[in-house]
Amino acid sequence: MTADAASASAPVPPPVLRRATMADLDAIMSLETSTFVTDAWSPAMMRSELRSEHSYYLVAERAGSGEPGVVGYAGLRAVNGSTDADIQTIAVAPAVRRAGLGRSLMLALIDEAERRDAREVFLEVRADNPGAQRLYASLGFEQLAVRPHYYQPDDVDALVMRLTLPMQDALRSAHTNSRAEPLVLGIETSCDETGIGIVRGTRLLANVIASSMDEHARYGGVVPEVAARAHLEALEPTITEAVARAGIRLEELDAIAVTCGPGLAGALMVGVGAAKALAVALDKPLYGVNHLVGHVGADLLDADGGQGREIELPTIALLVSGGHTSLLHVRSLTDDVELLGETIDDAAGEAFDKVARVLGLPYPGGPQIDRVAATGDPNAIRFPRGLTLPKDMAKHRYDFSFSGLKTAVARWVEKREDAGEPVPVADVAASFREAVVDVLLRKAIAACVDREVPRLLLGGGVVANARVRQLAKERTDAAGIALRIPALSLCTDNGAMIAALAAQRIAAGHAPSGLDFGADSTLPVTDIQV
Amino acid sequence: MVVEKPWCLRADYAGGMLLAIDTSAGTSVAVVDLEGGVLSELTTVDTMRHAEVIGGMVRDALAQASVTPARLSGVVAGMGPGPFTGLRVGIAAAKAFALGAGKPLVPIVSHDAVALERYSAGHTGPLLVVTDARRRELYWSAYGGVDVLGIPLRSGGPGLAKPAEVPHADLPRYDAASVSAGQLGLLAEWLYAHRRPFAEDRPLYLRSPDVTPSTGPKRVTA
Ligand SMILES: Nc1ncnc2c1ncn2[C@@H]1O[C@H](COP(=O)(O)OP(=O)(O)O)[C@@H](O)[C@H]1O
Ligand SMILES: [Mg+2]
Repeated sequence: MTADAASASAPVPPPVLRRATMADLDAIMSLETSTFVTDAWSPAMMRSELRSEHSYYLVAERAGSGEPGVVGYAGLRAVNGSTDADIQTIAVAPAVRRAGLGRSLMLALIDEAERRDAREVFLEVRADNPGAQRLYASLGFEQLAVRPHYYQPDDVDALVMRLTLPMQDALRSAHTNSRAEPLVLGIETSCDETGIGIVRGTRLLANVIASSMDEHARYGGVVPEVAARAHLEALEPTITEAVARAGIRLEELDAIAVTCGPGLAGALMVGVGAAKALAVALDKPLYGVNHLVGHVGADLLDADGGQGREIELPTIALLVSGGHTSLLHVRSLTDDVELLGETIDDAAGEAFDKVARVLGLPYPGGPQIDRVAATGDPNAIRFPRGLTLPKDMAKHRYDFSFSGLKTAVARWVEKREDAGEPVPVADVAASFREAVVDVLLRKAIAACVDREVPRLLLGGGVVANARVRQLAKERTDAAGIALRIPALSLCTDNGAMIAALAAQRIAAGHAPSGLDFGADSTLPVTDIQV
Repeated sequence: MVVEKPWCLRADYAGGMLLAIDTSAGTSVAVVDLEGGVLSELTTVDTMRHAEVIGGMVRDALAQASVTPARLSGVVAGMGPGPFTGLRVGIAAAKAFALGAGKPLVPIVSHDAVALERYSAGHTGPLLVVTDARRRELYWSAYGGVDVLGIPLRSGGPGLAKPAEVPHADLPRYDAASVSAGQLGLLAEWLYAHRRPFAEDRPLYLRSPDVTPSTGPKRVTA
């Protein structure tokens, strides 16, 4: 037998809830007749439901082209002036089940019942559908009665369940909290760090990182296959440790989040495969999110586990690591991120690693160069600043290039060596570092000025660089720009930032990603969630 | 020697359902039970979409068997041999599912499931199981037959070889394009029921990552 899933199309955006209209009738009916094979409503009944002023119907719709739009619907009947409301129907397409959509629909209907001043919400559920009964019980519905032989022709009993409004304080806060401050576990495997983080809203509960950096040292750079193998080994112990540190049980989670790109494809797939299985095992919604936007989300968290804070927006974000050098304009963390520019060849961290090799320093090169440069003269050698000439600033205003710089350093060093002269390592390191940092900040400040955004946020492993921090402070101070640098443990790749970003998406009302997405090594920053 | 058919076996084993996952070739997910056999099985031979399909297939296999995670007694992982990127997706999923459901992981050699399938289909005597290893190489395992319980007896491999250099060329050879998670799961059930060891919890890549340690920087000036 071949799985339906095998023929599923490319990843599609998550469904959004909206009020149903008459135009949705056909789509609703096709879902109705495929879900309730033996006891579906007739189109006429459904039409009168949709038309009634006492009704409140929602559809869950997937945006984009191709795939059918409506993947779920649910309806409430609450007659004006009556204290009773009824959940009339709810259906979710098989392809998007177990992703939290049913719960989102139910919560929206309960909210509406409260708005209409209902005191009690009733529903009937098939006695042979324990999954649905569990969902309703978790929302506070209690079983009232049994209606024998209610569903015909299947001859199945109906259980009548009731929710008393307003919901108990404890339950209500559990549910509002689970939307405003959801408990999320984030999985990050895009490069060489297996990062598992757990957050409650913007409060950091655990941030555990297993790095395979040492295994890459002998190769002088991250080897994708070595990284992917290490992820598979580290995954389970890292999750177990994060859960223990957070002092939670996996069952308590409100959602699972995972980095689905950009990054190394084989490495990403380990996290994606694990996250999906974990979500199914725990019956939790799954959010596939963007690694780079996650780096911005890191600023929500307090590394010591204190209450987090909002990110002041809009902001320009400069993300610099071994794999990325990107400049972003963030207007909304959850909904509006624009890529201004990125490296057209090597990432800045990669340049540090390569130049360190030229200077005979071990991997990773960034910290080594930083250490050696401390005693060097940054103005000793004038190395080129990539893409800063006027013609480049017209075409590549916010883009970066570091491969020419690396070659220039290598050439300079070889010339000295060929001449039998000693290489002034400290001066070379300091001058190289100055060139990198100068370009990074020149472009970042230009973006702040051009876009009239007086805020700059830094992220990525290269932010550990002492000169990056120092020059960022000087130049932002001079330009009247507010500078934010998250704690270093949150700047390098980690799962906590992924969890924090997903928590914001949940709080903003975005539906989960479903289970059909893949790893996308070149996921654009505009795709904040898949 | 009288060889009993595996599915006729009954042990004093209370029976427990297993979720089985194999991505050593395509993707295959099944729910099995010692008494009831394969309760559900979904397989696709697509070798490019393991990460995309794994979650939906696990969900659907459970749903088709009407089994909740809590009712499982373990999660079987096909440990390969298999091409690494795809193989890892299934093992990662099995491990994460086992962790989430609070159940033990049961590692099984994927080729053994192919052998079980052949023997169950009537093959007798020696057998060479071969699967694609990409990069013009093959994975192989050799079997002498089945034991009294019907469990395949691996006599060589799993190994990796160029097509012309696959050993045991004299054995009847079966080239498998897919590995059945149902067979993988049943094999795990029988091994457990008869207190036989499972495989090691170690992915069978049989290849080292192809990189060479750095020999220092290359010159940029001629
Ligand atoms: N003090 C530093 N100065 C410059 N680069 C650094 C410093 N510390 C670390 N790095 C660089 O940061 C990179 C690692 O950062 P990380 O965020 O883990 O990125 P990735 O995982 O994408 O490689 C490496 O390239 C390393 O050399
Ligand atoms: Mg890293």
